[in-house]
Formats: sequence, C-alpha cells, structure tokens
Amino acid sequence: MSQAPTPSPEELILAMLRDVLGRQEQEMRLAAKPAPPIPPPRASTPAPAAPPLLYEEGAEPLSPAEAQEIAEFNELAVRPLPSSTLPRTLRLLVAGLVVTLILINLPLFNSLALARALPDRQALIIRDGLLLKGSGPETYVLENGQKRWISSLDAFDHYGYQWDEVHLVEDTFLHQFRDGRPLHVLLKCGGSPHIHRLENDQKRWIKDIPTFLAEGHVWEDARFVSCGELRRIPDGAPIPPDAGPPPQP
Amino acid sequence: MDTQTRSIPRPHGLLSELELLLRNRFRFFAEIRDGVELPHKIQAMLLYSAISLALYGAVMGSEHSVWQALASSVKLPLLFLITLVVCLPTLYFFNTILEASLGLSQNFALLLAAITMTAVVLLAFVPVSLFFLITTSQYQFYKLLNVAFFVIAGWIGVRQLDQGMRMLTAGDRRGARMRGRLLRLWILLYAFVGSQLAWTLRPFFGAPGLPFELFRGLGGNFYTNIFASLGELFGFFTVR
Repeated sequence: MSQAPTPSPEELILAMLRDVLGRQEQEMRLAAKPAPPIPPPRASTPAPAAPPLLYEEGAEPLSPAEAQEIAEFNELAVRPLPSSTLPRTLRLLVAGLVVTLILINLPLFNSLALARALPDRQALIIRDGLLLKGSGPETYVLENGQKRWISSLDAFDHYGYQWDEVHLVEDTFLHQFRDGRPLHVLLKCGGSPHIHRLENDQKRWIKDIPTFLAEGHVWEDARFVSCGELRRIPDGAPIPPDAGPPPQP
Repeated sequence: MDTQTRSIPRPHGLLSELELLLRNRFRFFAEIRDGVELPHKIQAMLLYSAISLALYGAVMGSEHSVWQALASSVKLPLLFLITLVVCLPTLYFFNTILEASLGLSQNFALLLAAITMTAVVLLAFVPVSLFFLITTSQYQFYKLLNVAFFVIAGWIGVRQLDQGMRMLTAGDRRGARMRGRLLRLWILLYAFVGSQLAWTLRPFFGAPGLPFELFRGLGGNFYTNIFASLGELFGFFTVR
C-alpha cells in the first residue's frame, strides 16, 4: 500500500483553521434564537398550497355538535326543491291585502272609513296640550293633570291653538280634572308702563310687579298692541280688586 | 362544497329567490357563500322586503288616517333599510378583523336575508293586525300588539342571521367563537339602533286625537313609551 503524501505545514494550518471555523459556525447556529414566524400572506399574493403555521395555531376545532350542524346545513343545502304554490300564494296574499287596505280606508260609512268606524276609535290620549270643551262655552287645555280655562279668543289665538283640535266631551269627563290656573293673554302698549290682562273681553289692570308674579304670569305672555286699541277695550275690575281706579294706557 | 350550489338546477326570477329563502334557507346561504347570483338575490330581497314592510306600515297607519297609512308605508321600509346601512360596516369589520372570509356584499346579503325573513313574517301577521284594527278600539292595546308582532318577526330574522353567519363562516375556524359572541353583541347594537330610529321616524300609528304629522318632535324614548303604554293598558296609570 502506498502511503499518503505528508501534508505541508501550510496545508495543516489551513485544515485546522477550517475545522475551528466550522465548529464555531455550528455552535453559533445552535445558540441562535428561533426565526420569527412567517407573516400571513397578503390578500393580493397567491395562496400557498399549505396554510402557514400561524393560521393553524389560532384555529378552533369544530365541536361534534357544531360539525354535525354544519353537515346538516350542507346536506339540506343540496336538497332539491319540489315545486310548490308558494309564489302564487304570495302574489294572491299581497294583492288581497292591497285591495283590503284600499277598501278599509275608503269613507264608506257616513264619511268614515271602516278602519276608523268604531264609535270609540276616536278615543283621546290624555296628554298635556289636549283641548277640551264641555256643554258650556269654556274651552280648556290640559296641563299636568289640570284643566286650564282659556279665558278669551285672543288667548286661544295667542297660544297657537286651532279650533279643529278642540274635542267636544261630556261634562263628567271634564269634571275628573282639577281646575288649574286660567290661561290669559296680557296686553301692553308701547306708550304706557301698565300691563293689562284680557278676560271676558275686558282688560283688567295689574297693579304692580309683585301682583303680576303672584298671579303666575310671565313676560312672554304679554302681547303688544297699539295704545288706541287697548283704550277701546272696556275696563274690568283691577287686579287685585282693591287696587283703585285703573289708569288709562 | 364551494361550487356545489351552482350546479343544482332551480327556477330563476325574483320571486324564486324569495321562495328559496323561505323554503330552503340553507341553500340560499350556501349560494350567498358561493357568490351565486348575489346582485339578483339582493335585488329580490330589497323588493320583497320593501313590499311586505310597506303593506304592514299601511295597516298600522290606517288606524289613524289615510295620510298616516301612506306615510307609514314609506317609513317602515326606510326604518329597516337605514338601520341595515348604519349597522352593516360594524358587522363587516368585526368579521374582517376576526378573519371571516366574507365580503361586504355577502355580509349585506346575509343581513338583507334576515330583514326579508322578518318582513315576510310581518306580512303573515298583516291579516291578524287588520282584524284587530277593525274590531278593537283601544289604541294602546293595538300599539302593543303590533310591537309584539315586531318582536316575534325580529326574533325569527335574527335567529336566521345567526344560523346563516355560522353556515357562511364554518370554514373559517380561526376566531370562530369570538365571532359568535360579537355577532350577539352586534344584534344588540342593531336592536338599539333600530328602536332609536323608529322613535325618530315616529309616528307610525298616529295617536288618536292628534292631527296627522309626518314626524313628531323628539323627546322621550322608545322604551319609556312602551312602558307607559303597558302601564295604561293594565290600568296602573294614564299616559299624559
């Protein structure tokens, strides 16, 4: 057997260096941290053949009940539909309902539609602002469970009420409500410091501010008219009645 | 399963879509998942839910006047549609964040399917509502009866939405449980938005004794009004 040629010192040194470098590289690889997970692919990139590990980690397995339910859904989804009369029935139902709706809204019974023909269909919702009138001439407005007398036509107009909003009711219905403070309109003219309350087509002079406030009035209720117009309205008793003769505006 | 539904023959037409939803909602959902004729489906559902809701609205408004009937027949479909549009982005982004593979149009179709189901159930209640409209005169009773019909129809619609969502996202297992919980939260949100919008668009019935008004001033809320109506109906107090 022929002996292998003896390596030269340079070759020996190179071999040793390669050996050391190789071992160091191996040690470094072992000591290194694991590589970060691959981010999920963007929607625009083509999907890989197998989903990346990250997707699998958070996936929740189907419970047996869920799996059965989904299997049932899928089975039902491919079941063929036998023919039915459902579309025709739906068409007939819609057509019938449209005709019925038109009929019940036609004013056939003493100019009342069937939908609103029952005698107490016009039942009232008792609420603040409801206008009521009994057999007498007084008109009232409900407020906080009390009926407030609207003292004049001017007051009625001043507060923005409409006559077609007034409901005629029986007196017994009216009596169930306590009387509240009457609703007046206050009149004032620019050339006079005095303020008057219109009541039964008469103007009643309000003596001073404490009386004005004690009567529950607010400045917003005052309406400005010309002094001539105010003078033409006959005087009523002043407020309070012992206030003396009323001054002319 | 992805394209299975495409190969199953069935009649086509707007009414056929509604028929499919009513008779085999699972196939309907599968077709939404597979994207089968999605625009056609959306068109059909919009049309039939609008017709059903308009009819129901007209019955509710007939209690007051013809004008109220006309107004309610427009307002009721609007109520459902606006609620859907307001709540759709929330559902879509919930689903997207939780890695469901549904697109916006699929989410929209699924919600519209729930609304269509609600509308059709309400349509089925129309004859009953008409009967009580003609034979009773108690406003509060009639109002609460209709609220009860809405609750039943809404519950059926929401149940269908839940079922459809589970079917459509069955393949997306990641975040499935969280999606389920968020869907329930979203349904609550949907109910709140719907009831608040209903309160904003009121009146639908028109209170007796009040003139016709297209919209009523804001004030109070839906829940206190229902509570007050219950109180008056059972004689605890009078609504003022």
